[in-house]
Amino acid sequence: MKTGSILQKNILSKTVLWIFLIVISVYCLVPFVWMLSTSFKTEAEAFRIPPTWMPLQPTGDSYIGIWVRKNFGIYFFNSTVISLATALLSTFFGALAGYGFSRFFFRGRRFLIGFFLATQMLPGVLLVGPYFKILSRVGLYDTRTGLVIAFLTICLPFSTWMMKGFIDKVPVELDQSAMVDGCSRMGIFFKIILPVVAPGMVATILFAFLLAWGDLLWALCLTSSEPMITVTLGIARTVGEFRIIWPMLMAGSLVGGMPAIILYIFLQRLLVQGLTAGAVKE
Amino acid sequence: MGSLLNLGIRIKDRHMWVLFVGPGVLLLVLVLGFPAITSLSYSIKPEQAGTVSYTLSNYGNLLKDPFLNRTFWNTAVFVFLSVASHMVLGLAVAMVLNSALPAKPLFRLIALLPWVVPDVVAGIIWKWMYNPLYGALNDLLLKIGFISSPVEWLSNPHLALFSVILVNLWRGFPFVMLILLAGLQAIPQHLYEAAALDGASKRQLFFHITIPGLKKMIVVALALDIVWEVRRFGLIQAMTQGGPGILTEVLSTYTYKQYFQFFRFEYASAISVVMTIVLLLISLPYIWMISQEE
Amino acid sequence: MRKIVAIGLCMAVLLVAFSFDLARAAQVTLRFSDWHLTEDVWNKSLNEGMDIFHKRYPNIKVTLEPVSYGEKETKYTVESAAGRAPDVFHVHAFSLPMFFGKGFAKDLTPFIEKEGPGFLDAWYPLPIKLMKHNGKMHAMPGDYMTMVLFYNTQMFKDAGLDPNKPPKTWDEFLEYAKKLTRDTDGDGKLDQWGFGTVGAKDPGFTLRFGPFIWSFGADYLTPDMKRSALDSPEATEAFKFFVELCTKHKVIPPGLTAMGAHDARTQLAQKKVAMIMGSGWTPPIVNKINPDLNAFEVLKAAPAPMKRKQATAIWLSSWVMSPNTKHPNEAWELMKFITSKEIELKWFVDNRVTSSRKDVSGVAPEILNDKFASVMASQLPYGKVEPQIKQWPEIIDTFTTSLQEATVGMKTPEKALAEAHERINAILAR
Repeated sequence: MKTGSILQKNILSKTVLWIFLIVISVYCLVPFVWMLSTSFKTEAEAFRIPPTWMPLQPTGDSYIGIWVRKNFGIYFFNSTVISLATALLSTFFGALAGYGFSRFFFRGRRFLIGFFLATQMLPGVLLVGPYFKILSRVGLYDTRTGLVIAFLTICLPFSTWMMKGFIDKVPVELDQSAMVDGCSRMGIFFKIILPVVAPGMVATILFAFLLAWGDLLWALCLTSSEPMITVTLGIARTVGEFRIIWPMLMAGSLVGGMPAIILYIFLQRLLVQGLTAGAVKE
Repeated sequence: MGSLLNLGIRIKDRHMWVLFVGPGVLLLVLVLGFPAITSLSYSIKPEQAGTVSYTLSNYGNLLKDPFLNRTFWNTAVFVFLSVASHMVLGLAVAMVLNSALPAKPLFRLIALLPWVVPDVVAGIIWKWMYNPLYGALNDLLLKIGFISSPVEWLSNPHLALFSVILVNLWRGFPFVMLILLAGLQAIPQHLYEAAALDGASKRQLFFHITIPGLKKMIVVALALDIVWEVRRFGLIQAMTQGGPGILTEVLSTYTYKQYFQFFRFEYASAISVVMTIVLLLISLPYIWMISQEE
Repeated sequence: MRKIVAIGLCMAVLLVAFSFDLARAAQVTLRFSDWHLTEDVWNKSLNEGMDIFHKRYPNIKVTLEPVSYGEKETKYTVESAAGRAPDVFHVHAFSLPMFFGKGFAKDLTPFIEKEGPGFLDAWYPLPIKLMKHNGKMHAMPGDYMTMVLFYNTQMFKDAGLDPNKPPKTWDEFLEYAKKLTRDTDGDGKLDQWGFGTVGAKDPGFTLRFGPFIWSFGADYLTPDMKRSALDSPEATEAFKFFVELCTKHKVIPPGLTAMGAHDARTQLAQKKVAMIMGSGWTPPIVNKINPDLNAFEVLKAAPAPMKRKQATAIWLSSWVMSPNTKHPNEAWELMKFITSKEIELKWFVDNRVTSSRKDVSGVAPEILNDKFASVMASQLPYGKVEPQIKQWPEIIDTFTTSLQEATVGMKTPEKALAEAHERINAILAR
């Protein structure tokens, strides 16, 4: 038969696959290797020309420094609380709205779907000023809550669009058979839809989390006191007028990336759940 | 008929959408309404206060602006190449990660890592790595022997925009990959098995099962990524501030300049209005596709 | 069920965060903001200054609000537009026309009058002039420095140049720079260049370009600031000279348009360039970047080279009081304190910045005996400043765009400059 050439093709495609994987991994990882290396250097060595990849005098000083000299503990707390709240709220309300758009065909549906997306087309640069005015009037300036609300308005439309996409793939028959069984709409939403679209929620949760975490403009303008500073704002501060404290910037960035990675590891088992959850009995 | 959370309140099922869609709409209108209207109204105010209350002069200035043409073009190139590369790489990696492969969780994590870095920070770090004198990238390439003298990634007029796009690819493809990976998970395995039994080739499997199955997610990823890349600001600002000259100036950096460096609030608003309208027009097909009644 | 737990969890998170916010007691205090608070040495110095202030004014409490250097204008703009700027904040003098134009700075005349006649005499005239809007003082001057030429005496010696004879004219400078651009280890590649400077759109650019354009006898705008003056032959000469340093003589390292002030200093610290323009902040930073260089010994300062007349750029910072401050009198006491003779001297001793006060920069032995500060102070009479109009940021952005296009070879210097001239006239005509 054709076993020989199939084997050939298999080996070839497996090799191609592996080469591809390695190239992509290098592309992704090289900057991180550089960040890691720099984070263990002294400030002087970070400026060496030509640069060194292996620190000549490795020191963990910057890792200690960000916590001790730069208040990273506070920044971390703020960023985590804000980003987590944004992620959970945005995904939940996004799923809610996504379900509404997916299953109900009401008048103005198309308009509202477009409206959701359209709210994102205004640049943040323009919105931040008036938004700041509102917040100070209601007393939410320089608060985490104010930031969460701001991020929510940016994330929610995207979460809705993403979740609607995933919910669309869930066959309506599942809803219908559940309704026949006497389940309420809310019940269907919580017990059937959400478990099935769990893989899609991973992307949505992470997206909202990272958006809130990585934002600079809104955090800069909507907070002012030290207890409210976020990690990204703190990292921006290492770029001073006179010097860039590279080891600290790198250490801060690496440490700052940890919560998102931890969140992902926590969520990733959801990624492999397929249609098997809540399947219709054929 | 559905009952509202078993509280005994009876609402017709077909009105239940209000419960689902309502909170989102309420939040957006309440919070974004005022800022949106305020900033848009700025665009019809005169730059020099005192003469008239409303004017279209800001839009007139748009047409006379010597930099706007190039800025629009850069934005189009930047968005097109960024989104296209995100989709291609994202799909490729998603497919590889969906296949039978050892150490999948590890590679999935690696592929996600660039996304974890805020785009301003990514800009700062890559700018440093791109430096001809003390940048890590040139150093690495010189050591391997790929190049014989340092490349001026960000100052060479032919390379500058593409260097920025390369970083944007690094930073942005994980998002598309994750959406498409979730989408791939939703394609039932038995479709592939049945087709393979019928003797379908890999190409046929891809074009007749994978792509149609992913169609909705591709549309979602495309629409979102386009809007996001038009908004992309921190990355470009940190790396080049629009230079050299205006070779990497995009609408977001240009608007930022007008607003925060030149204090031209009115002009910045006018640019934003035009940008919003263009974006709306571009996304109309996507809105149409995503809201198709199946 | 899991989802309900998740929702409950995030509501709890929100509640905790929100209650933290409500519990913060309202304080009647002064808000003071300065980007220097993010710099280690300055931060210590400012905190010490505030301790002294608190002891003298026990009824006033000052809260310190750091802001990152690159983002300070953004933040102050947004806050001022909403009437919520800090009571006292620190900006570059070149930002003042814009802040004045938008009404973001309080008129200080009543406070100054209360201090008695001659209060402002302690300051140099140019800084005072720059603080005025429609003839009235709307800000107080702070740090005042000039740009001078820093050079590495060791690298001079290695190239056969006399370290005690720095270049006095731009033509001499070019000769020196060419000799200093060489291959030191014989591998056929250039290892060092003569001059490091700024080519990116960085506030440090005009500081380093000013000595070129002004000493050639040209200027950006006409004296009445209504038209561009870039069509003069002197302006073309200056522009071309600078561009050719990069394109023709190649005495500047590659990648000029991406170089900011940080890069110039790093290059000097790492012996990649022999000369840069700098000011009071330069030696300590260079030393921090590369302690092995022994910056304080090896570096020397000299007045900026000239073509037809001596001229250099000044660096001036200023203190602004927010018009919405609820405590103007206390804010004035704070401003008076930080610009007082005693505290201005402290800023020099701690941070090496010279003051806009004559009775400090012209007189204090700490400054006159300092190897670097003495050169800077000697150049104060030759200091020139960019046109103080609110369109200046847009004008300099347009100018730098053209300069970048010329240095990367997209256009000839003549063509680029002519375009800049046209565009700047269009901006002014609005």
